[in-house]
Order: sequence, then C-alpha cells, then structure tokens
Amino acid sequence: MSYSYHDTLIFVEDISVQYDETLIIKDVNFVEKDVVREGYGSTAQFIAIIGRSGRGKSTLLKALTGLVKPTTGKVFIKDFTRTEADAAKMVKEGDIGFVDQKYTLFRHKTVYQALFFALRKTQLSKEAKEDKISAYLDTWGLSAAKDKYPNELSGGQRQRTAIIEQLLSSDQFIVMDEPFSGLDVGNILEVKKSFDLLNSISEFHTVIFTTHDIELAIELAQVIYIIGYPTVAGALQNYGTIVARHDLRDMDLAWNPYSEKHAELYKKIVDEMMAS
Amino acid sequence: MTKLKQILLPFGTVPKKTRTLIFFSWIALIILMWFIGASSDKHIFPTPYDVFDGFKELYAQGLVTHIFSSLALCFISIFFAILISALLAYSWPIALLKPIGTMITKFRFLPFTGLTFFLTMMVNDARQMQIWILVIFLTTFLTTSMIGVVKDIPQEEFDHAKSLKCSRWEVLWQVVILGRLDYLFESIRQNLAIAWMMLVTVEAIVAANGGLGLLIKNSDKFMNHGRIVALQLIILLIGLSLDFFINFLRKALFRYSRI
Repeated sequence: MSYSYHDTLIFVEDISVQYDETLIIKDVNFVEKDVVREGYGSTAQFIAIIGRSGRGKSTLLKALTGLVKPTTGKVFIKDFTRTEADAAKMVKEGDIGFVDQKYTLFRHKTVYQALFFALRKTQLSKEAKEDKISAYLDTWGLSAAKDKYPNELSGGQRQRTAIIEQLLSSDQFIVMDEPFSGLDVGNILEVKKSFDLLNSISEFHTVIFTTHDIELAIELAQVIYIIGYPTVAGALQNYGTIVARHDLRDMDLAWNPYSEKHAELYKKIVDEMMAS
Repeated sequence: MTKLKQILLPFGTVPKKTRTLIFFSWIALIILMWFIGASSDKHIFPTPYDVFDGFKELYAQGLVTHIFSSLALCFISIFFAILISALLAYSWPIALLKPIGTMITKFRFLPFTGLTFFLTMMVNDARQMQIWILVIFLTTFLTTSMIGVVKDIPQEEFDHAKSLKCSRWEVLWQVVILGRLDYLFESIRQNLAIAWMMLVTVEAIVAANGGLGLLIKNSDKFMNHGRIVALQLIILLIGLSLDFFINFLRKALFRYSRI
C-alpha cells in the first residue's frame, strides 16, 4: 500500500515523571508524523501503547496530555492555528483530549449540554456551535440521545459522547486509557466503529491508546510502542520507558487483514513484554 | 418446609409476597404485644386508648401550632447550617482553608451543655439561642458529610474536567458544586434524623415559643404516658415525612441523580 510521511504531529522529548522519590517513567522519546495514504480521503493515526501492569502506561498518557506535569522533558504537537510547515506548540492541559477507561462525563450535563460546554472556549457563534454539535450528533448517531444524562446512556452512547466531547474541545488529538478494558464484544465493536469514524473525519486525528489486548493493538494501530522496564548494563531497571517500537506500515501489516505475519508480530511483542 | 428454610436462611431467596407478609406479621405482633402488655393493672406502657386520648388532648392544646413552631425552627436552622457547611465543604479543596473545614468536623464530638453555657452569655433571646445551638451542631455534622462527598469524587472526574480546558475554579464549580448538588440533598436527608432529634431536645432544654420538645417536657412533668407516646409517634411521623419529602425532591430536581 502506497503512503507518505508529512508534518510532524506529535514530538515527545525526554519525558520522565517522578513522584517524591519514586521514578515512574524515564527517557521517553518518540515522534509521529502525519501519514497520507494514496487514494484515501483521510487517514487518522492510531498509536498503541502496550506493556505489563505497573510499567507507567497511564502515567505516560497523563504526561502527554498535561494532566501530570513531567519532571523532565517536553511534549509538542502540531499547531493548527499557524500555517508555516511544522508549526508546533508545547502541550498544556486541555490541548490533548483524554478519555479514561470509564468514559467519564459530567454527571449533571446532558449530551447536548456537555458538547456545548466542550465548545465554550472556541470563537464560534452560538448558531455555529449549535450547527457543529448537530452535525457531530448526526454523524456519531447520538441525535436521539442528545437530551439524555450519562446515567441514561447505553455503554456505546457514553463512549461516543466522551470521544466527541474531547474532539470538540481539543480538536485533533485524543489519548485513550484502556478504551477496551472490561467491555463486552458489542461494546468493543462500538469503539472500533468510533475509530473508523475518527479515521474518516480528519487526516490529522491522532489517537494514542493503551491496551492489554495485543491482538486489538495489532488490528487497530499503525504504530505500537512497548513500555516496560529497560535492561541497562545487564540489570533490569524499575522505571518504565519505551523498549520497542513497531511500525506496522513499514512491516506491511497496517490496514491489512490479520495474517500469519500479524501472528508472528504478536509472539514477538509477548516476548518483548515478558523481558521488560 | 423449603419455604420456611428460605426465610430463616441468611440471604435466602424469598418472594415479594412472602416478604410483605413477614413485614405485616411483625406489625401485627407489635400491636398485639402493645394491647397485651398494656392490658394488666400494673403496666408502664400506656394503652392504645390512653394514647388516643393523648392525641385528642394535644390537639385541643394547639398541637398544630406547636408542630409549625418546631418545623419553622428546623427549617431556619437547616438553612443556615447548609449555608455555612457548603461554604466550608466547597472551600475544603483550597489548601489555605482546608484546616477550617477539617477542624469544624471534629467539633461534632463537643457536648451540648458546655456550648449552651457560652451561648447564654452571648444571646439573650431564647428562640435565637435555640437556632444558634442547632445551627452550630448541625453545621458540624453537615460539614462532615459534605467534605466526605468531596473526598469521594473519583480522580477521573477532575481529570475529565481539566482535559476540557477547565480552570481550577471551573473544576470546583462543575465537578464539586454543580456535579454533586444532589449529594447536598442526600447529606441533608441523612443528617435530618440527627437534626430532628436535636431539635426536640433543644426545645425541651431552652423553652421559647413552644414546640414539640416543650410539649414532651410538660407531659413528662405530669407523668402523662399516653401523651408522651402520642407525641413520640407524631415526632416520628413528621421526621419520616421530611425524609420522604427531601428524597422525593432530590429525585424530582435531579434526573441524573442515582445515589
């Protein structure tokens, strides 16, 4: 499949997070660029972060979104307000949307009120906001649920509301912590559909998600990062860092049906995880 | 036999019809015990007829006015206690003010009498004194409940608000104040029993414009057992009605509430 790399979307430089004396993650570096597929209207970027429990996956996600201030390092994302090539800005709280595994919403706001609130800091007029919300509700199949509170929504409706709320607020970047955790088959399909929608709506949508499900990561992501304890000078350290990166596009695995090559990658990832 | 086993077994599976039957059997048993216990010559508990006479007597002596006096005292005290508690609980996430709220919660272990001594020196009017005693004590309990609500808010809700570009003040407003408004009603409901119990005691200690507490005290003086039980029943029923009303109000006002 023919594709090409374009603008840098996210640039992570030397991130480390330490709570008091406990070092959680260290030396996290990565760059992800916009990838354009020939013959496709838009191609969103799906990046999976996998690793064993306690290796700092959630901390890394919170550091990426600015919800946790990194002890060292910086995160930059593409600045869509500027026109020059590779215009970037340093991430601050709210620039990257964050969806947790419970799909948390404001319990006292209906779907419509929540989406309106998400748009409160934009320069759009009231009518433009209403139009934008209506368009999103329509695209994401939430029109019938617009006046419902979170406790009245189904699991799928809740997921979609949480995603579009973050899309409206943060524009292109979304980080999802364990979006498939504890979901039944039906709900997993709903999240997959949401990924498809994100893929079709914008070229710049960048979704970084953590998961324990290696098969799902291989199926959905174009890039997989393994976070684990590194081995330095023969000794296993007790802080998390990126120990491997797999670019499924270069391996001719991305956007293709599951094959023997995918299964081989699965085994390789398991080995890497067990060693870290 | 299997049915009998189920109603005696912990966590036994009992149909709704049987549960209702068990409930009414207990009520019938209590009434029966009351009639039997009060039928002998030497009884300490008044007969149902004595209680009925007590009701009639109380009504003739302005029971309704006394009920309204107690309710007014209850509502005024709760209103002020809510204002102060809300201020303390909502300022609790602010580091500088946190110790004040925390300290107030500890005051709920203070005894009644010591406080009344100091209040007597500061407040002359008996009604004002009743209000102040209730406000002070209710505030300690309500603040404890409301700070508990704030403490129990999951970190995800704060992160969610922050990820939507909420400033720290917006987080406080959206997540803690607006997002937990229904819990305020629940805190009031849970503390109402304490409030109602305190109110009757305060009315009995500090005599002012009457009230149910004063009626109990007077009945006690003359050893009128029928009246005392009648009053207890009235106080219980009003307390339960208030509990029902606040719960109804919470559900009606907050559709999103699922406590």
